[in-house]
Amino acid sequence: MALTTASAPVVPEQPGRGSPVARKRRGAGGGRGREGVAGYVFLSPWLLGLMGITAIPMLLSLYLSFTDYSVFSTWEDVEWIGLENYRTMFTNDPQFYRAVTVTLGYALVMVPLKLAAALAVALLLNRAWRGVGLFRGLFYLPSLLGGSVALALVWSALFAGDGAVNEFLAFFGITGQAWVNDPDYALGTLIILGIWQFGAPMVIFLAGLKQVPVELYEAASVDGASPWRQFWHVTMPMLSPVIFFNLVLETIRGFQSFTSAFVISNGNGGPVDSTLLYTLYLYKRGFAEFDMGYASALAWVFLLTIGILTIVLFSTGRFWVHYADGDDR
Amino acid sequence: MHPATHPESALPARPHRTLKIGRVLRGLAATAVALPLIFGAAACGDSGDSAGTDPNEKVELSVFWWGDDSRAETTKKVLDAYTAAHPNVTFVTTFQGNQGYLDKLSTQAAGGNAPDLFQLDDNMLSELAERKVTLDLTPYVEDKSLDLSKFPESLAKYGVVDGKQAGVALAENTPGLIYNRSKLQEFGVAEPTTGMTWEAFITWAKQVSDKSGGKLPGTMDPSADYKALWVWLRQQGKEFYNGKELGFTAEDLTRWFELWKGARDSGATPTADVIHEGNSSDATKQLVVTGKAATSWVWSNQLAALSKNTKDQLGLVAYPGNPNGQWARASMYWSGSSRTEHPDVVADVINFFVNDATAAKTLGIERGITPNLDLRKEVEATLTDANQKASLAFETQITPQFGAAPAPPPKGHAAIRTLLVTIAESVQYGKATPAQAAQDFISQAQSKLA
Repeated sequence: MALTTASAPVVPEQPGRGSPVARKRRGAGGGRGREGVAGYVFLSPWLLGLMGITAIPMLLSLYLSFTDYSVFSTWEDVEWIGLENYRTMFTNDPQFYRAVTVTLGYALVMVPLKLAAALAVALLLNRAWRGVGLFRGLFYLPSLLGGSVALALVWSALFAGDGAVNEFLAFFGITGQAWVNDPDYALGTLIILGIWQFGAPMVIFLAGLKQVPVELYEAASVDGASPWRQFWHVTMPMLSPVIFFNLVLETIRGFQSFTSAFVISNGNGGPVDSTLLYTLYLYKRGFAEFDMGYASALAWVFLLTIGILTIVLFSTGRFWVHYADGDDR
Repeated sequence: MHPATHPESALPARPHRTLKIGRVLRGLAATAVALPLIFGAAACGDSGDSAGTDPNEKVELSVFWWGDDSRAETTKKVLDAYTAAHPNVTFVTTFQGNQGYLDKLSTQAAGGNAPDLFQLDDNMLSELAERKVTLDLTPYVEDKSLDLSKFPESLAKYGVVDGKQAGVALAENTPGLIYNRSKLQEFGVAEPTTGMTWEAFITWAKQVSDKSGGKLPGTMDPSADYKALWVWLRQQGKEFYNGKELGFTAEDLTRWFELWKGARDSGATPTADVIHEGNSSDATKQLVVTGKAATSWVWSNQLAALSKNTKDQLGLVAYPGNPNGQWARASMYWSGSSRTEHPDVVADVINFFVNDATAAKTLGIERGITPNLDLRKEVEATLTDANQKASLAFETQITPQFGAAPAPPPKGHAAIRTLLVTIAESVQYGKATPAQAAQDFISQAQSKLA
């Protein structure tokens, strides 16, 4: 992603339209000195917040992950147990492995499908139809509601054994499953719910599509490229930074999914631990079984895993992400 | 680390050496764990720190319980009556549904802001008592300013953890089978009776399934239900807990799972996915009221609440087997916070709740049967709801047959309960054999109780 200011821009500047690249470059030369001080002054509420409710609590939770701290422990009898929580996690906790498996399965299936759906719909909506704005809004709606408890409740009602989905299927003579009440289908139902909330990446894709210069398509069609070839050889490379951005964001988000599984399984990750997402397991250990020390250890393993995963994603980026900046990396 | 090794720090009026910084740190720590889940930060309010002995001193107690609006109304009425008698004492009340209650209480306790007075059940009593969250009420019980002498003895004892009175029963209840009387009449099946054997009960349930043409399975499958398992174990001379360990073996649990596997295979119960609905939902969605089973395994005092959710008439009997497997159980407790600034007032308010006649009549039997035996008769006379009367009549009839109360469940009970649900469901869905599942339960339970 590093942009060398030295390399002369191939494309002339377009001040009015301000591509992300151009904006970034302009910001890079920002002032130090007095302006810097003013900056920190303006930042101070945020900095205090960062220290008070992020940095210090994080360090505390790192400490607590080496103790047997229960939510109810008085501070005086928190006992240091070293790596015991971590050892238990990796050697003697079948539910930990269960949670890891469920979360991996969920994220690996949900994220690619969600991005594919978002891209497909973005391509459809990237035309100048009448009323296309309305459709954009409608498709975005589910992701606005996405994190909400109400939506998960509706979902669990729809997919209950005697819910609307099965009534609909029965209309065609198909006997539906118990969906959320069947350990073989519950996670799949959650995945569908996740995919359905593709509105946020869709909007970002739409913005990315608008950035692809029309000249490239014109040139390609003059050369006789089919729409399919244009998609693979113009749209995809030009869109790859946006795809990359969405991939990183949605992967992290996918791993952090919590609300829908929490609501649909009544906070238990059931049936038979089939929807025991990692965050849900963490929550259960911390707030339902009052094992905060252990939950802290789980949280740190989680943080490290997501960190490593993000690094891996970034390192693959150089092979397929093209920045329209000349120095193709 | 065990609380018993620090008797001096459990005195009711703790010296105010409480580290403020510790309080802040705990609040931050709870926030830290909550943050990855994108939960809001726990608000860390703080109470004043004046403590005096002036009887007219203004006292404000925070009170927290779970329940619905009608419980809130009666509870507030009693608190108002207390304020009328003691104008210097006022209350700040909070209540919410069952779901999330303990999360909120634990977050508050972690932040050092536990309410002065809060409701608990035996799910949590030992956990909080051992962690020194609850106020030790023993001195007040001993000097009778908190008078438990009118309680059935086993009910008074059921609030004692490690020799300390950690909670006072607000009400008593008993496991009860609630069945759909209207439907049984429709199908021409006799009603179940108290004292029938487990096998006879399953045969009866099978009969209901058959007579309804398979539309109404005879009974919810209670194999994931700790209280049904507990009653069954006691009837064979075992206990669910033996001190801080499990009181039963993998063989016992295998037999329990096999008993219900047989029932499911015969069609006496619904299928696993419907059972799962019953396992995971609250009282208002019990299968007996959603029409998915003829019988639910609940508590006897829930008869009135469940009746509100169905047009059918419901009936109530004891769990199968000898009723001496049951005991006078506290359906809920009042506990004080060990950090309260006014332990004397807290004890007095609890005393008012359980020993004042007007308070008892106001509360009725919504939380369970009145714990004070003298007041039970007076409350009975005020009941108008037929279902409430039936609950009370059941309790009165069965009480003489009760066995001795066990100790309240140990720390880790909440985790054991959810573990039992997961493991029993793996058998219900056919993902594990009864023997495998029982082994899994025993090995995982040990780490949760340790």
